Amino acid sequence: MTTINREATGPENLQKLHDDLSEVWGNPKGLKALTIVNHTTLGLRFMVTGMAFFLIGGILAMLIRTQIATPDQNFMTPEIYSQVTTMHGTVMMFLFAIPILEGLAIYMIPKMIGARDLVCPRLTALGYWCYLFGGIILCFSMVLEMAPDSGWFMYTPLSSNEYSPGLGSDFWLLGITFVEISALSAGVELVVSILRTRTQGMALHKMPLFAWYILAMALMIVVGFPPLILGSILLELERAVGMPFFDIAGGGDPVLWQHLFWLFGHPEVYIIFLPAAGIVSTLIPVFAGRPIVGYGWVVFAITVMGFISFGLWVHHMFTVGIPQLAQAFFSAASMLVAIPTGIQVFVWLATLWLGKPKMKLPMLWIIGFLVIFVCGGLTGVMLALVPFDWQVHDTHFVVAHMHYVLVGGMLFPLMAGIYYWLPLFSGRMPSETIGKWGFWLVFIGFNATFLIMHWTGLLGMPRRVYTYNTGFGWDIFNLLSSIGGFVMSAGFAMVLIDITLHFRYGKPAKTNPWNADTLEWANKLPPTPYNFVSLPPIETRHPLWEHPELPQEMQEGRHGLATASHGRRELWGTDPLTGKVREIIHVPSNSWWPLFAAMALAVVCISLLLRWYPVAGAGVMVAIGFLLRWSWENGAHPKAAPDAKVMPGDPPLHSRTMDGPGLWAMTTAMIANGSFFLSYLFGWFYLWTVSPEWRMPDASPLSLVALVVAGVALLGGSALMESSVRRLRKQLDSGLAMRLYGAALLGGLQFVLILWVMWNANLVVTETSHDAILMVGLYYALLHSALGTVISLLQGMRVGYRYVGAHAPFEPVVVTYFWRYNVVVFWILIAALAVLPRVIGG
Amino acid sequence: MNAMVQRLHLTHPGHFVGGLTLWSIWFIAVYGGLSVACAVVPPDPAQGALTHINITLLLVSLITALLLAGLAWGCFQEAKQHKGRQHFNAFVSAWLYVFSTLAVAFVAAPIIGLPPCL
Repeated sequence: MTTINREATGPENLQKLHDDLSEVWGNPKGLKALTIVNHTTLGLRFMVTGMAFFLIGGILAMLIRTQIATPDQNFMTPEIYSQVTTMHGTVMMFLFAIPILEGLAIYMIPKMIGARDLVCPRLTALGYWCYLFGGIILCFSMVLEMAPDSGWFMYTPLSSNEYSPGLGSDFWLLGITFVEISALSAGVELVVSILRTRTQGMALHKMPLFAWYILAMALMIVVGFPPLILGSILLELERAVGMPFFDIAGGGDPVLWQHLFWLFGHPEVYIIFLPAAGIVSTLIPVFAGRPIVGYGWVVFAITVMGFISFGLWVHHMFTVGIPQLAQAFFSAASMLVAIPTGIQVFVWLATLWLGKPKMKLPMLWIIGFLVIFVCGGLTGVMLALVPFDWQVHDTHFVVAHMHYVLVGGMLFPLMAGIYYWLPLFSGRMPSETIGKWGFWLVFIGFNATFLIMHWTGLLGMPRRVYTYNTGFGWDIFNLLSSIGGFVMSAGFAMVLIDITLHFRYGKPAKTNPWNADTLEWANKLPPTPYNFVSLPPIETRHPLWEHPELPQEMQEGRHGLATASHGRRELWGTDPLTGKVREIIHVPSNSWWPLFAAMALAVVCISLLLRWYPVAGAGVMVAIGFLLRWSWENGAHPKAAPDAKVMPGDPPLHSRTMDGPGLWAMTTAMIANGSFFLSYLFGWFYLWTVSPEWRMPDASPLSLVALVVAGVALLGGSALMESSVRRLRKQLDSGLAMRLYGAALLGGLQFVLILWVMWNANLVVTETSHDAILMVGLYYALLHSALGTVISLLQGMRVGYRYVGAHAPFEPVVVTYFWRYNVVVFWILIAALAVLPRVIGG
Repeated sequence: MNAMVQRLHLTHPGHFVGGLTLWSIWFIAVYGGLSVACAVVPPDPAQGALTHINITLLLVSLITALLLAGLAWGCFQEAKQHKGRQHFNAFVSAWLYVFSTLAVAFVAAPIIGLPPCL
């Protein structure tokens, strides 16, 4: 192996090096612990919070099973039962499954790819606080007995004002949107971290499989969550303001909600499954004692799943009345997804077959996963058949299938992963005896609950009914399912006891206790906040198997970036394909801004719930203020990297180059933004072509001339930004501030013109969905215009402070990307909203 | 420009997503096209599957499948000529194009037998 960095320190300086790293990367204690942005701490916080929500969701599940254990029960009223079922699904899907897997990814990815942190640590912190506050707000609705009660997918019109007049739906819509900020934050930074911060030499095809799975999951979050965010915004606008997006009489369509929800909802199943499958693909080779069979085939399968899962959403809507041919498309696509799943299952079996599997505790959970998930997959293929789906739609069969896929496909691998990485979290080993008791109770209890639930479904029992009469033949099956549910709960209690006790009584773990091959086991157990003293060159998929001495070498600082006396938190910035080092990425340190911004957003969320709009407006302004202040402490700012000096032979700091993680983060964020925009366009065209009472005015209310002038102003601003970047590439920064101010001025002109168009359109947004959806599109353009203007203005100011210039040219490049996006979407918006209606008519 | 040409090369991992992106575009075009056509110019149900909508959808599907099959063949050729990272990229891309081709054929198969707007 070769390293581009020198041996940074000798044995006599090793302690000094550790001290330096601890000072730069260390976590504060007391109240200041709230400022921590380190991925290890935040990953653990995500997971612990996720487990807390899992317990809440589990208690709700037991309440459900108690209620329907026997016929004619009145343990709960119908109203409370509806709230409990809705919250069980919501908590498990949004507050447990996704966040805990994100937490695991946040914790694990930097350690696996040989980095010291994620690339946007403050974003990790913001994501965590948004998740925590959103989850608390949502769960608080249960305390008030005001929880949402329309089912976890919130179908309209059941969730609309007419049938859900209380605050329940609002809690769901606002709380979930708040939590989704967290998911998107994690999605963006995981993508960028995996692509740009792998240690030197770790080419894409040498990356650990877990990183491939997380890359796919993160990209799916980036593309898959925005449709639901749009849907939630539209439904909340309908409920709060009366904009009739889903109301037939106003020209809306309730089926639009189903499309937007399932455009998110089906990929979400795979967003949950992929990281879990990543755990399986990581653990099986370790316990089989050999490399995975068919690394390339696994990459193939991950890629196929990532895409095909977006083409299945209508299979949740087979009963709403769409043409048979369209149903056939989605039925066929649904069957296709069995191919990549099957490939992975055979890869895992082949690896076990060719290796010498050791049946340690984590492997028990993996075997449980294989059995349960394959059964769930098979019932999934059954449900892909349209006539069968019609028969069992909305019955317990679907509920049973969903639990086989999600509990089998996510929870069992997660438990395997938790047991496997427990020594990393705590430095101690779990108890095999208590752990095995826990596993068998969960496995038996789970199958007793949900295998039997297939039969109650086939016997016709609908989901979400709060009670039933005796005589349908459902009594004994429901009772057995309920008993199974309580057995499963006892199993989870055992697991929880085991994990809790192990922190005190577990045997201390030796180095690399499972003889694993991946880099996370090169950490100290438990890890230091900086993970590695030095970052090694990695040119193999199994670094610890091929170089068992590597952890020692890394601890002795014999590899790259073994210095911290400059006071910066540094990672390698590497080429996404080859893993060659391009630059040194410096990441920000602990900060209050993420917490403050999340608190301001929580105020916005609560104010919107209570309809205190002035307070909500003030909250938005405060949150923007915090976020802008946060962005100010960047690049050459004294709190970031005022001194660009690096060790001789090292590449430059990223803020002194024209490329860097911020550029990739902006691109990934714009993919999410683009997904939101395309969902909006889908909504516009869907209502236009499908909604039965759609009313298009004879003449478009939008002034085409004003919009075109606004578009030209935007183009002018963008051109100024582009020319600024071109000149910076040539190391020219004379007149840079004026160009940036000029772009801001043109952005401001666009903003004013859009406002003028909105004002003059006289849209009656509560009367027709046409006017309402036009208004949403104009607000979208207005928001982007404002943002482009403000960030260009700030860039101009930063030139004045010498934070930006030829010596630090990075930030204008990032801002220019945003302007490019603005130009593209604004002109598409003009074409879709103002030109097409004039050409085609209503 | 050079960077763009490199990205188009069949050994670039961008092709991991190339085939399935084409599949997705085709899928949206076929589903969206069917929905709009049925809303705007629904054919007489008595015509069965032999309608202008089905013929158009089939043609679009055939062109897409041929394009994907061609890209799969190209990737296999590239995979033979390289080792290491580039071989890996071209080989995985080739199978992803094969899958995308078959996925177009499989999902499009009902167009032959089902009337479009019933």
